[in-house]
Amino acid sequence: MPNPRLVLALAALAAALALPQFGGQFWTGLVTQMLIFGLLALSVDLLLGHAGLFSLTHASFFAVSAYTVAILQVRYGVPTVLAAPAGILAGTLLGLVFGLAVRTRGVYFILITIAFGYVVWGLAQRWSSFTGGDNGVTNVPFPAVGGLAITSHTQYYYLVLAVVIGVCFSYRVLVRSPFGLALRGIKGSETRMQSLGYRTGLHLYAAFVLSAALASVAGVLYVYYNRFVNPVASAFPISVEAALMAIVGGTGTIIGPFIGAGVLLGLRNWVSSFVEMHHAIMGAVFIATVLWAPDGLVGLAGRIRARLARKKHG
Amino acid sequence: MMTSAILQAINGVSLAALLFLLASGFTLSFGLMRVVNMAHGAYYLLGGYIGLAVGLKTGSFTLALLAGGAAIAVIGFFVDRFLIRHTGENHLAQVLLTVGVAFVMGDVALQVWGGDNLKVPVPMFLRGAVELPGGLVYPSYRFALILFGAFVALVLWLLYKKTQIGAVVRAGVDDREQVNATGINVDRLFVLVSALASFLAGLAGVAGGAFLTLYPGAEWEILVYALVVVIVGGLGSLEGAMIGALIVGLLDAYGRWLLPEFSYFVLFGPIALLMLFRPRGLFGREH
Repeated sequence: MPNPRLVLALAALAAALALPQFGGQFWTGLVTQMLIFGLLALSVDLLLGHAGLFSLTHASFFAVSAYTVAILQVRYGVPTVLAAPAGILAGTLLGLVFGLAVRTRGVYFILITIAFGYVVWGLAQRWSSFTGGDNGVTNVPFPAVGGLAITSHTQYYYLVLAVVIGVCFSYRVLVRSPFGLALRGIKGSETRMQSLGYRTGLHLYAAFVLSAALASVAGVLYVYYNRFVNPVASAFPISVEAALMAIVGGTGTIIGPFIGAGVLLGLRNWVSSFVEMHHAIMGAVFIATVLWAPDGLVGLAGRIRARLARKKHG
Repeated sequence: MMTSAILQAINGVSLAALLFLLASGFTLSFGLMRVVNMAHGAYYLLGGYIGLAVGLKTGSFTLALLAGGAAIAVIGFFVDRFLIRHTGENHLAQVLLTVGVAFVMGDVALQVWGGDNLKVPVPMFLRGAVELPGGLVYPSYRFALILFGAFVALVLWLLYKKTQIGAVVRAGVDDREQVNATGINVDRLFVLVSALASFLAGLAGVAGGAFLTLYPGAEWEILVYALVVVIVGGLGSLEGAMIGALIVGLLDAYGRWLLPEFSYFVLFGPIALLMLFRPRGLFGREH
C-alpha cells in the first residue's frame, strides 16, 4: 500500500490545480486569500510553534513589504522583477530592527511587539505624503516579468500556489535542520540549551529575521492580489488574526496555519453574509479556541486519532 | 515658541494623568495576578460610553464617572472569574482570550453607540479656560484632570504603601504562595485588586472621553499607550506607572507638536532604545 500521506498530498494538489475549473471565481479568490494569509500565519508559527515566541507585529513586515511593492510599481514604474524582491528586502530589514525584541521573553516580548506594530501603523496612517494616508496606494498592476504577464485572478492563483508550495518545501527543510532542532530545544528549555553551549539569543534573532522575511513574501503576494494597500494591512488585528490562524490550525506544523487561515477566512465570509459584526465573531473564535482547543484542529485530530487507536488495541 | 513649549508640557502631563489611571490598574493586576488583560482598552471605551449615557441622562459628571467605573468593575469581575481564570498563568492564552473579549466588546459598542466621535459632556465650571501666571490660557478641564490624576496617584500610593491591605498586596506581588501560606485569602485579594483595576479603567474612559472623544478604535489606541507606559515603568510597579505615564505623555505631546507625521517614532524610538538596556523597564523585576 502506498504511503497514505503521499496519496493525501497528491489528492490535495490535484484538487488545488483543478479548483478554478469547478470552483469558479468566488472559491478561487477565497483559496488564494487562504494561501496568502496561511503563509503569513506560517511565518508567525516559525516563532510561535518552534521557538516559543509569541509575536504580535507580523502585520508590520507584511505591510511594509506590500507598501514597498505598491509604491515602487505605481509611483516609480519599477518592474515586478525588481519591485517584488525590494518588498521582501524591506520587510526583512525591518525584521533586523524589530528582532531586537528577542532580548526580552514572555509577556514583555508580546507587549513590545505590539508597540512596534503600532509604530508601523502610525507611519502608514500619518505619513500621508508618502504612504497615501487612509486611502493608501491604489491601482497596483498584476505582476509581469519580461513579456510574461499575469492577466487574471485565475492565473494569479496558480502563481500563488506555486510560490506557496515552494516556500513550504524550504520551510520543511529549515525546521528539520539542526537550526530548527535548536529552536525547539530553546522552546523546551532555554537554560539547558545555553548550558549545552548554544547561543540562544542569536538563534532566536535569526529565527525572527527569517520569520519576517517569510511574512514579507506573504505581503508581496497580498498586494498583487488585492491591487491596493492601506493602513489596515499593518493594523493590530491582522497580527492577531495571523497568530490565531496558526493556533486554530495547530502550531508547529506546516499544514496547520493554512487550515487555520481557511477556517477563519471561510467563517468570516460566511458570517458577514448575514451579520455585520465580524469582529465580534472573530473575538468569539479567540475565546473558544483558548478555552476548548488550545492545540488547534491538528491537535484535536491527533487526540481523536489517538483515542481511536487506543480503542482498536484496547 | 516658549509659551507653546509650556502649553505642550501641560498637554503632556494631562495625558499622563489619564494614562496613569489606565496603566496603574493594568500593572497592578499583572503584578499580583500575573494576568495580562488586553481588554483594558475596551474597558476604557465601554466605561466611557456608559458614563456618557449616564451623564446625558442625569447631567452629572460625577455620576458619569462613578457609573462608568462601577459598570466596568462588575463586567471586569465576570470576565476575570469566568474567562481569564481558565488560562492559569499562560500569557499567550491570556492575550488571545482578552483580545477576543476586547473585539466582542468593541463590536457591541459599535452597534449600540455607532461609529461617530462622541464627547462626554464636561460640567459647567470646567468648561472655560484658566489663566496661568505669565498670561498663559489653558482649558480648565485638562487642568482639573491633572489634579485628579495626581489625587488618584496619591490615594493609590498611600493605599499601597501605608495600609494593611497594601502591605498584603505588595507581599502578594513578591511571593504569592508565601502569602497564601500565612492564611491570607489571596483569592479575595485578587477580586479586590481586579475590581479596582477595572474601576479605574472605566473611570479613565469617562475622563478621557471628555477631551479625547470616544470612537471605535479608541480602545486600541489608548491601550497601546498604556502598554508603553507599563513597558517603560516595568510591569507590576506603581511608581513605574507614574514615571512611565509622564515620560509617554510628554514624548507624545512634543512629538505631535514638533514632528506630527512621525510622532509615533518620537514616542516609540526612545522606548525601543530603553528596552535594549533595560529589558524589564525602569522599575521592573524578574517574574
